[in-house]
Amino acid sequence: MIKFQNVIKKYNNADTALNGINLQINHGEFISLVGLSGAGKSTLLKLIIGEEQIDGGSILIDDIDISQVKKSDLPYLRRKIGMVFQDIKLLPKRTAFENIAFAMEVCGHSLEKIQEEVPKVLELVGLLHKRDSFPHEMSGGEKQRVAIARSLSHRPVLLLADEPTGNLDEVNAGEVLDLLLKINQLGTTVILATHAADLVNKIKKRVITIKEGKITMEQEKGKYKL
Amino acid sequence: MLDSISFLRIIKTGFVNFWRNLWLSMAATMVMTITLVIFSTLFLMFMLTNYSIHTIQNTVDISVYFKIGLAEKQIASIQKSVESDSRVKEVTYVSATEAFNDFKDKHQNDPLITQSLNELTENPLPATLHIKANQLGDYPAIAQNLEKDQYKQFIDKVNFEDNRLVIERLGKILRFIITFGLGLVIVFAIIAILVIYNTITLTIYNRKEEVEIMRLVGATNWYIRGPFLTESILYSIFSTIITLLFLLPIFVKVIPRVVGYVNPQISFYSNNIFNFWILILMLFVLALVLSITSTTMAIRKYLKI
Repeated sequence: MIKFQNVIKKYNNADTALNGINLQINHGEFISLVGLSGAGKSTLLKLIIGEEQIDGGSILIDDIDISQVKKSDLPYLRRKIGMVFQDIKLLPKRTAFENIAFAMEVCGHSLEKIQEEVPKVLELVGLLHKRDSFPHEMSGGEKQRVAIARSLSHRPVLLLADEPTGNLDEVNAGEVLDLLLKINQLGTTVILATHAADLVNKIKKRVITIKEGKITMEQEKGKYKL
Repeated sequence: MLDSISFLRIIKTGFVNFWRNLWLSMAATMVMTITLVIFSTLFLMFMLTNYSIHTIQNTVDISVYFKIGLAEKQIASIQKSVESDSRVKEVTYVSATEAFNDFKDKHQNDPLITQSLNELTENPLPATLHIKANQLGDYPAIAQNLEKDQYKQFIDKVNFEDNRLVIERLGKILRFIITFGLGLVIVFAIIAILVIYNTITLTIYNRKEEVEIMRLVGATNWYIRGPFLTESILYSIFSTIITLLFLLPIFVKVIPRVVGYVNPQISFYSNNIFNFWILILMLFVLALVLSITSTTMAIRKYLKI
């Protein structure tokens, strides 16, 4: 599904963030991307959604070379890829329902479709009862689950999670992880970038370790190792 | 391409942006209005002055009154020599008989004059030449030429109304309007661009989070830019409407008076010297160019897509 071929990414033409990444990710996989801060995990995710441009090599998603995708077509690529972040990025003045509806609205979905789809994704993340709550009325874990619901509203084939549990306590982090695993079971490929060792150890799925812009270790059903 | 749902949502968001920053929006609209009012006032002054100059220029001519009873042959030779002057544009000959008939026609409803004319045994009116010059400055020389001794025995009077002073003064006003007015319009256009630039920058800043999320969830670039452009088009529409309200009384009351004063024979509304709607369209286009320019600049600088 996703193929990294000798991918190089430099910032300001000097700092090499990624240095010769070769990686293949298949449909339906759950990948934990581990490494210290600044190792290049976030950069790798940003390259997949076209937020950053590569400086060498190629990235193929279903045989489409991302570097060849026109800037004006990137939005359509992003609709196929869900993304969640450590800082959650919910709109504070909108309810859980409205936050998800907003994402669907800006992509041109009709009102009927929005009314139909939003309760479904809220139910999937177990927050249908919080549909009218504002972000400040929810816990960190609940907010992150709303953000995940938002990223699922386009029914993406791939979900990228960049430190989604970074700001959460153990219980909330566990809930978010369970949700990501559930989404994976439903068929969506998930890439989780994290440095939460205990979570990774619980997953028991493929683990890729990145250090100083290079893949240093790959384990099937692995554990958190640097 | 944008579908109709997205298009309507862009327009709606543009209105919401306008409304949320109402004070800023009003400031942007007012500055744009001032620019348009200055531009349109100067434009109207320019048109009126220009029109006045042309009208007055057209009224200037030299009338040559020949002595009564002068032979047509003699007159024809003088006409020929006048026509040979390269400064002369046009010479019209009105014979004594024509002048008499014209006079009679003109006063046919006045019994007193008709009666007096009937009592006359010979035509008291002279034959005349009406001369128009190519250039305004040529009139005095042409008139002087006709006052020379060689013509004295044939010509009774050379009449030349010197309107040059009025025309020159109007010309000066016209030049002043062009230089000073253009400068003023440019200054205000720059101010309008800066104010709109800052307003849109603030709107972008206020909507930073929304824009970021829109990008991440896959909103198209036009969907993200659209509301900001809509907002700036709203400034143009509102400022044009306010300017229109300002101009309407000028058009209804002031301009017809000025035109009537300069040229009483024509009705202001019967000709197309000033087309109100074309002026409004011009103002709207000017407003659009200014606001879209500044919005595009702000979007390029601050809206990361």
